[in-house]
Amino acid sequence: MVFLIVLAVFVVLGMRLYLIVRDNSESYKRQVLSQQQYDSRTLAARRGRIVDANGTVFALSERVYNIILDTKAVLEKDSYLGPTMAALVSKFGIDEETVLTYINTHQGSRYYVLKRTVPYEQITAFRDLMDEESENYNENIRGVWFEEGYRRAYPNGSLAGSVIGFTTSDGNGLYGVEEYYNDVLSGTPGREYGYLGDDANPQYTVIPASAGNTVVLTIDSNIQAMVERNIREFAEAHENVARRADGAHNIGCIIQNVNTGEILAMASYPDYSPADTQNRTPLLGRPMVDEQGNYVRDAANEYTYLTEELLDGMEYDLLMQQYNALWRNFCVSDTYEPGSVVKPFTVAAAIESGAIVGNEWYQCNGQLHVGDYDIACHNTAGHGPVSVQRGIEVSCNVAMMHIGASMGISDFSKYQNVFNFGLRTGIDLAGEARTQDLVFGADQMGETELATYTFGQGFNVTMIETISAFSSLVNGGYYYEPHVVKRVVSDSGATVKNIEPRVLKQTVSATTSDIIRNYCNTVVSGQEGSGKSARPAGYRIGGKTGTAETLPRTQKKWFVVSFMGYAPADNPQIAIYVVVDRPNAAEQDSSRYATGIVKNILTEVLPYLGIPMTEELTTEEREELHKMREHTYMLYDLPEEESEEGTEETEPSEEEPQEDVPEGGRTTASETREEPEQTP
Amino acid sequence: MTGSAVRKQAVAMPREKAVIRRMPGRPQVTEAPVTAEKEKTTGYVDYSLILIVFFLCIFGLIMLFSTSSFEAGMKFGDTTYYLKRQLAACTLGIGVMFLLSVFPHYRLLKPLAMPAYLFAAGLILLIIPYGYEANGAKRWLYLWKISIQPAEVAKFAMIVFLAALITTMREKAKSWKGFLFCFLTTVPIVVMIYKITENLSSAIIVLGIAMIMLFVATPGYKRFVAIAAGATAAVTGIIYYILNYADPTQSVRFARIFAWNDLEAYASGKGYQPLQALYAIGSGGIFGKGLGQSIQKTGFIPEVQNDMIFSIICEELGLFGGIAVLVMFFLLLWRLVIIASNTEDLFGSLLVIGVMGHISIQVILNIAVVTSLIPNTGITLPFISYGGSAIVMQLAEIGVVMNVARRIRT
Repeated sequence: MVFLIVLAVFVVLGMRLYLIVRDNSESYKRQVLSQQQYDSRTLAARRGRIVDANGTVFALSERVYNIILDTKAVLEKDSYLGPTMAALVSKFGIDEETVLTYINTHQGSRYYVLKRTVPYEQITAFRDLMDEESENYNENIRGVWFEEGYRRAYPNGSLAGSVIGFTTSDGNGLYGVEEYYNDVLSGTPGREYGYLGDDANPQYTVIPASAGNTVVLTIDSNIQAMVERNIREFAEAHENVARRADGAHNIGCIIQNVNTGEILAMASYPDYSPADTQNRTPLLGRPMVDEQGNYVRDAANEYTYLTEELLDGMEYDLLMQQYNALWRNFCVSDTYEPGSVVKPFTVAAAIESGAIVGNEWYQCNGQLHVGDYDIACHNTAGHGPVSVQRGIEVSCNVAMMHIGASMGISDFSKYQNVFNFGLRTGIDLAGEARTQDLVFGADQMGETELATYTFGQGFNVTMIETISAFSSLVNGGYYYEPHVVKRVVSDSGATVKNIEPRVLKQTVSATTSDIIRNYCNTVVSGQEGSGKSARPAGYRIGGKTGTAETLPRTQKKWFVVSFMGYAPADNPQIAIYVVVDRPNAAEQDSSRYATGIVKNILTEVLPYLGIPMTEELTTEEREELHKMREHTYMLYDLPEEESEEGTEETEPSEEEPQEDVPEGGRTTASETREEPEQTP
Repeated sequence: MTGSAVRKQAVAMPREKAVIRRMPGRPQVTEAPVTAEKEKTTGYVDYSLILIVFFLCIFGLIMLFSTSSFEAGMKFGDTTYYLKRQLAACTLGIGVMFLLSVFPHYRLLKPLAMPAYLFAAGLILLIIPYGYEANGAKRWLYLWKISIQPAEVAKFAMIVFLAALITTMREKAKSWKGFLFCFLTTVPIVVMIYKITENLSSAIIVLGIAMIMLFVATPGYKRFVAIAAGATAAVTGIIYYILNYADPTQSVRFARIFAWNDLEAYASGKGYQPLQALYAIGSGGIFGKGLGQSIQKTGFIPEVQNDMIFSIICEELGLFGGIAVLVMFFLLLWRLVIIASNTEDLFGSLLVIGVMGHISIQVILNIAVVTSLIPNTGITLPFISYGGSAIVMQLAEIGVVMNVARRIRT
């Protein structure tokens, strides 16, 4: 009887087995295969570094750890949960409540990120608790492991922040070099596979991650620091002067090696730190932008400046627009009307096209009637008789309009194209603005446009576009493609790619270049020169000032002032361009805001570059330099009284450790320096 | 032998014997000297039984290795971790089996019944102070670096004790009163197993063994039908109550019942293990994926080498392999029934019936759990599942059966 029952039950069990197989075989087969997630995970690749020309690190990736919880392992024994949670809370400050809720609701979970990007020092204590060898070993701490990852660090803080850009939390570059060279920097992630070997052993194969390449910039962090400090000093001095706001809407400065196109420094104000992109402080005092990123202006065309209260009340999208405005690199992404700094281009184009030879004279009565308008010179009293050279020296609009008229629209427009106005330079930075629609071509231009274009009103440019063209104007006519990266180096140190200076075209002849340089020298050294205040003590430089009206024209309140120059005057090695966008001053229409900055920057940078002083120092200048030495970190010694000839090269001081490194920017400059001189 | 003949012998013969033995003047077999007995016995060795047991043990070891090597490799870095332990226990068990098959005479167990009972109870009580905890339950004792599970010992002890008790009580056991008394003697052990080791399944098995032995020893089906009906009603009622009124988070057992009722809904909790076992069985198909080819054993089924080993047998060897295992167990039980029915001695016969009951209950419950016919309880498959104490005791039981078979008289 018992046996019969057992037999019956066996038959039932057999039937059950049969039914399971018959009804569910296919779906369960699929189910089993779908559960197969071979234990495989991505291994993060270390992102390459960004270093300056001397090897100073701007950006690097530090190894960090994600703390992963294996819920299943923790719940394996009742005794595990308590000590494990206690250790997590005490070592990492993890919120117990949240994690317990997670554990209760996801008992089978094997991968839950408790905390991200924890530095190595913090996890060692916890690892000690899990290490069987250790004396602190607690066998009840289970189910916690650490996943390796990387975190981007910017050891130099905000230095060159807008050039470097930053990375998002998932490791993608945003803005600047980080974005433009994202592919180069990223490297290739690795993978770890688990699978079952022939003898049912779990096996692992690791395809290691290959680290990203290092990008070597042409930027010299010392020059960059000098530039940024001087800009900051200016901005601080002008803060809240005429309005409760920053020292200016924007201040940009580019220093370029005129003989290679390499950017030695590129700075924007206000700046931000790539390591702390969501810091509000730099936003305060900035003009507010709307959802489209345009400045908010009221009926009277006044700007709104950001305050804590305004930021607090902002929607996320609007707030992000404020940040975007901050993060963008003014030097390449913003366009503006350049003003008088384009006058040397006008003259150069006229000479090149044969419209003038340089000995022409014009009469300036303070205005000129063109088309239906009377277009004023900035000196409404008139400059009187103006030669071509004086036209540049005193920045006479009337003379320029005459010169423009003698060229005609088609030639003028052709040369705008030659100088690359309206075209991108192709600089290796993310977010270069497109100016094509902001510059009229010959077919769109009228008499009036031609007239205003000659003195830099009516079309928009970017800083990088303008300085690159200007470098070609003073270096003998060679238009170099501007670039901020000079080398890509692999993780092991081998050079992957050298970015050589690239001449894109010849804009003007060497003769014209010489003529323009002579004209521009008078801007700084001439009796009537509009840029005299840009001259650093001990040097001769050349350049051109600019004071541009902004729209609307009738307001005559908001100006973009600038100075674009080169040094030394007779053999330019570097070009410098400083733009102060709407300085915080009662009267904005003075290029002195820009020339002052240029003077201060060059006073530091020229000696640092090893460019000898050629001019006598007056007693006042000497005192001033000594004073400067006290409050700034000058990297050179002042020449002694005897060395007035400037024959003795001023050497950077020995405190500068990077002197041993071959000075990329500088060496290249001195090697190629001869080139323009040989050309004629 | 046909099925009906088997049944007749299995059920009827011990009772007839019991009747015969009450006849006056007949020598008391149980008290006859062992030596005198020797000449009269056949010295029968059931080679079929040995073959089946060996087959199950070796098949079990192969399947255990296939099933556990992945987890062993992951956990201990040694794929043969479980195999080595099981092989040692198996070897010991086979030694014990052969020893018990010849020595001592099984009737010597009768006076040892009471001490065995107390010994088992003592072992269980020892868990309270000295118990060793693993997998969240306190079920093991450590003796000379060997862990033993007192519940497994208790099963054997109960078989011996009940066989002796029923034999001693004779007619009294057939009355309601005697029946109740016999039944009540199991209660302390059952309660102790359940309460102290928190091992419901072992408690149920002990209870089941007792029921089967009493069923065989006493005439009339009425009380058993009543008990079976009552138990079925009670179990159904409890399950119904739990499913409708209880909170699944309240206790593990409640949660298991909820999971059993709707595996998919608890797929990430208590339903995970049975559901994954079903996936294993279903995905195996008719002839399986081939020995060693299981996917589900690679971390998907928890405790796969214990309760769930049958699902991997089905996955690797298919429906065919699963049915074959059932057939092997069926043949084993059939051999036990043959031996029981041929034993004229009530005590020996009851011992064999007890062993048969033990093995059949475990096989049935284990496969019912694996196929999700009943809620998950944690019962191992005899001779095949991993578990040292279990296999040693099961082989010891077979040894006693062989001992009984040897004394079958001509």
